[in-house]
Amino acid sequence: MVSESLLDIIMIIEVVLLALAVSVYFVHGLWLRTTARRMERLSKIAREALARLVTRGLVNVEDIELLKSLPHDVQTFAFLEISRNLSGTGKERLRFVAQQVGVIDRARALCIHKRWTRRLRGARILSQLDVADPLVHKLLSDPHPAVRAQAAEWAAAQASTELVAAMLELLADPATQARFAVQNALLRMGTIIAAPLATFLETHSGRAAEAGLRVAEPIAELRFLESALRLSRADDIGVREASARLLGAIGGAEAAARLIEMLGDDADRVRAAAASGLGRMHYWQAGSLLAERLRDQRWRVRREAGLALRAIGAAGTLFLRKALKGDDRFAADMAQQVLDLPEAAAG
Amino acid sequence: MREIIALWATQFLVKGQFVVLLYFLAVNGWYLVLLVSSLLELRRHMLLIADESRHLLLSSTLSPTISILAPAFNEEATIEVSLRALLALKYPSLEVIVISDGSKDRTVDVLIQKFDLVPVKTIYERKIETKPVRALYRSSTFQGLVVVDKENGGKADALNVGLSFARGELICAMDADTLIEADGLQRMVRPFLYATDVVATGGTIRVVNGSVVKHGRVEKTSVPTNLLAGIQVVEYLRAFLFGRLGWNRLGGNIIISGAFGLFHREAVLSAGGYLHDTVGEDMELVVRLKRLSYQHGGPGKIAFVPDPVAWTEVPESARVLGRQRDRWHRGLADVLWRHRGMLLNPRYGVTGLLVFPYYAFVELLAPVIEAVGLVSLVLGLAFGVVDWTFAGLFYLTAYGLGTALTAFTLILEDLSFHRYNSFRDRALLFWWALLENLGYRQLTVYWRLRGLWKFVRGRKDWGAMERKGFRAPPVVAKSPDAAA
Repeated sequence: MVSESLLDIIMIIEVVLLALAVSVYFVHGLWLRTTARRMERLSKIAREALARLVTRGLVNVEDIELLKSLPHDVQTFAFLEISRNLSGTGKERLRFVAQQVGVIDRARALCIHKRWTRRLRGARILSQLDVADPLVHKLLSDPHPAVRAQAAEWAAAQASTELVAAMLELLADPATQARFAVQNALLRMGTIIAAPLATFLETHSGRAAEAGLRVAEPIAELRFLESALRLSRADDIGVREASARLLGAIGGAEAAARLIEMLGDDADRVRAAAASGLGRMHYWQAGSLLAERLRDQRWRVRREAGLALRAIGAAGTLFLRKALKGDDRFAADMAQQVLDLPEAAAG
Repeated sequence: MREIIALWATQFLVKGQFVVLLYFLAVNGWYLVLLVSSLLELRRHMLLIADESRHLLLSSTLSPTISILAPAFNEEATIEVSLRALLALKYPSLEVIVISDGSKDRTVDVLIQKFDLVPVKTIYERKIETKPVRALYRSSTFQGLVVVDKENGGKADALNVGLSFARGELICAMDADTLIEADGLQRMVRPFLYATDVVATGGTIRVVNGSVVKHGRVEKTSVPTNLLAGIQVVEYLRAFLFGRLGWNRLGGNIIISGAFGLFHREAVLSAGGYLHDTVGEDMELVVRLKRLSYQHGGPGKIAFVPDPVAWTEVPESARVLGRQRDRWHRGLADVLWRHRGMLLNPRYGVTGLLVFPYYAFVELLAPVIEAVGLVSLVLGLAFGVVDWTFAGLFYLTAYGLGTALTAFTLILEDLSFHRYNSFRDRALLFWWALLENLGYRQLTVYWRLRGLWKFVRGRKDWGAMERKGFRAPPVVAKSPDAAA
């Protein structure tokens, strides 16, 4: 029915495949083990040499030559490993040694490689060593979002007016990955971004403005107020919500007045953010209006209003207790739940 | 007349064998495509994550809040350790919601005592119809901890209650006994940060049996010496590393393990939450999300993260394993039947034209075809209409190729995450891969056929799941519906 030669052929193919798989599996295992041992041994040498160079601060030619003699992968591994635990002068010395050994030059060459994976690798090495290199700056406009995101991460430690401006423009990046990295990097840059961000918010709207507002919230400087007030009237719900959060973070009478208006916004997300903002600034004068929001049709608004009342202190608690005895069952329930919350959960 | 019948039977046996043989060839050929696809996907993934600084990028205040939904039923022995491990996960914005699904032991008491819980009024926005909530607790110590005590209604019902309480942008559905790696959530959230059309992500689940677990974390990975658990390690590696990863590249993932998955909360709520009357609620939800995205537009991408992110205990007894596989197969049949309109329907793109046919003709019908092949082979040999050469060919095509593919999966694991490093583990893994086809696979055929039969008869029970516990005193936990 079936020729034995066919069976033989199939059997031979399968045995070869299986034998190949077994060989690759075990040989690779052996290779992994050998590599790990080699890496461990050579890394120890590299680590010790680097420790001497970085702690003493003197250029020891012997140690540099020793590092140079090590394989490139060991060099890179050792530099990246030690870089995570260094900052300031220590990191500066590490960069100097990396330059001498050739790690930085190789990373720079990777940054201009035609394959995006290599450019990503180069940007990662330079980011971890905090090397202020214009090549990485250029990668902010790389065609691949992962490379742009990495360049943004690098920029977080290289804060400069020029870089901040380039980064702000990337807040409208169509790729989520890059946009997220840019927002995150801007946040880590700290208050240096405040002035350019204020200018950016004055001139932008839509998705870019929303991303900018989210970055501005933790900084919450008064200079953002004008833009936050303007953007709080935007058509986009996300922008209004982000504005409400920023206004709550900035505080002050103007912000409070606008937040009170926003308690009547059509979008529940905005009403909830406005209530939360008033709670955040402990604006007790808005107590009665927040108590009204306990009757809101949407759960999330009622909850944020309740939490805001609890946040504003004694006056808010009075309103919550009053709501307990009111005729609105939903308001009473929410008031009860908020009052029941332990301190840790009400934060 | 007898001669005609005999001739007809002979023809049936011979031709049937060839059909089965061709079927196996086609299936193994497709597996080869998946293997290549997963190899490419894995390479891309490894390049993307090499030397990434997750601690900087993903521990940001901008990261979306995740609400972990952990249904628990009679977990008093393990709940404290499991929950402490969850609360210690490295993620910047986390809420943990434990849902006691009508536990009859001291699960809730243990939680109250160990986590400083205080009762709060049971008020919540009931977004999905569920069994009543009996009590609600918040912790005085852990800001993001919520414990819900509800009447028993099954895992899907518990997750739906959790959905009503969750406030995070993303929800993480898991089993109470799943061990999540400390940075597992950071890895799982990546696809949500990288694209706006993602509604769910699943990660690799690994078998914890045989490994050393301390304080809810896997400290040392080892391949189990128990036959059933060992073979399941190989099965899990194959399912996740080349099955789901391969489909990921082809855009056809429709399964996220119920043990650990991350979902966009609004998308799940819009879809109506988990279904109660199915045993495959996790797969059903994913297929529904996918279907709705095709029907109404909007996000619908299901992403798979190949990094090992969670660990689960697998059954070590044939009885319990049989129940599990029977249930899984019933779940698969149920999901495919409910969404049969997607099958070969061009409106549903890759899912309708490629994924559904694969699950229907390969995953669902495989035990039927395999059983027909095996039975007719035995009969053919007994009556002398099939020779031993053909039997050899059948075995080599059906099982030999499968073993070779499994061996290549082990190489994939070795090239990427290589969690099983010692020579002993490698030898054991390979040994289990060889043994899989000598009895174990035939047993799973029987269990899956039983599941199919039960599905046809309309049975929807879960069966009991016994767990040894992670190097802890033995714990017996039943799945929720079993107690209902």
